[in-house]
Amino acid sequence: MRVFNRLVVVLLLAGLVALGISAFVYALDLGGHRLSSVPNTLGLSSAYEGLDNFTRNAEGGNLNPLDITVLVVVALFGLILLLFELFKRPVPRKVLMQQGTYVTRSTIENEANAAAEEVPEVLQSDVDVDAQRKSGAKVSVTANVRRGEDTSRLQSDVQERVQKRLAEVGVPVSSLKVRVLEADPRETKTRVK
Amino acid sequence: MAVDDDLQLARAVREATLATGGVHSLGTGRYAEAATYGAGEKVSGVVVSDDEVRVHVVAGYPLSEPIPALAERIREKVAPRAGGRAATIVVEDLEVTSNEGL
Repeated sequence: MRVFNRLVVVLLLAGLVALGISAFVYALDLGGHRLSSVPNTLGLSSAYEGLDNFTRNAEGGNLNPLDITVLVVVALFGLILLLFELFKRPVPRKVLMQQGTYVTRSTIENEANAAAEEVPEVLQSDVDVDAQRKSGAKVSVTANVRRGEDTSRLQSDVQERVQKRLAEVGVPVSSLKVRVLEADPRETKTRVK
Repeated sequence: MAVDDDLQLARAVREATLATGGVHSLGTGRYAEAATYGAGEKVSGVVVSDDEVRVHVVAGYPLSEPIPALAERIREKVAPRAGGRAATIVVEDLEVTSNEGL
């Protein structure tokens, strides 16, 4: 759903940018066309005509069965999406540790960060924590190291340290993903350790 | 009257929580202020509702025990003062209280 939403927003914003630019161009009379001639240039006249016929038929109660079916399907689909959005259970913001005990995501992020940066080769780490409806957190760690380091060994080192630290703190972890990326030390939080 | 009762309960819960070893302070909420409000007064870190008392804590670091164990001890202290409501513990942060072992 997030990808779909992003796509819709990107298309919408791209449309707005295009509209703004074309309005600006036409305002300065740079286009060489009249604004009123755009529908004809783009061949929208036939589409307008079709729309006009459709609304006239709808008002007159003369829609054909296919149109009615399509409209009903569209309406039902919209209704289902609306209900789904209205009654969707929100994703929790805090991580459930056990019945009645929660910990904030930032607490887990700080702990995982500290654990990852205990590994001497790690120059910087970024941690993302997602809460779930059930107990446990989804933790994703990205560790930046110098080029040429043994990334597979470091990945297991970081994974082990983070797992150990979170277990000591008592945070149940449902998934822990560790990525080790090579980075330029000039762009990381720490250059030398 | 109920507001005064809630405020009184929140104060008692606050004192009980702060008296628990391993608690550094009370939290104030992350996305919205966690507090119980009364006439001219508010108790930050404790939210009293009809069926729940939610306590936001900042635990001292290094931890002497895992967070769930600390939460259980807080709950034991808070439960008798919660007036039959369920006690929910939210650990908002860890605050360094001693540099030993760091």
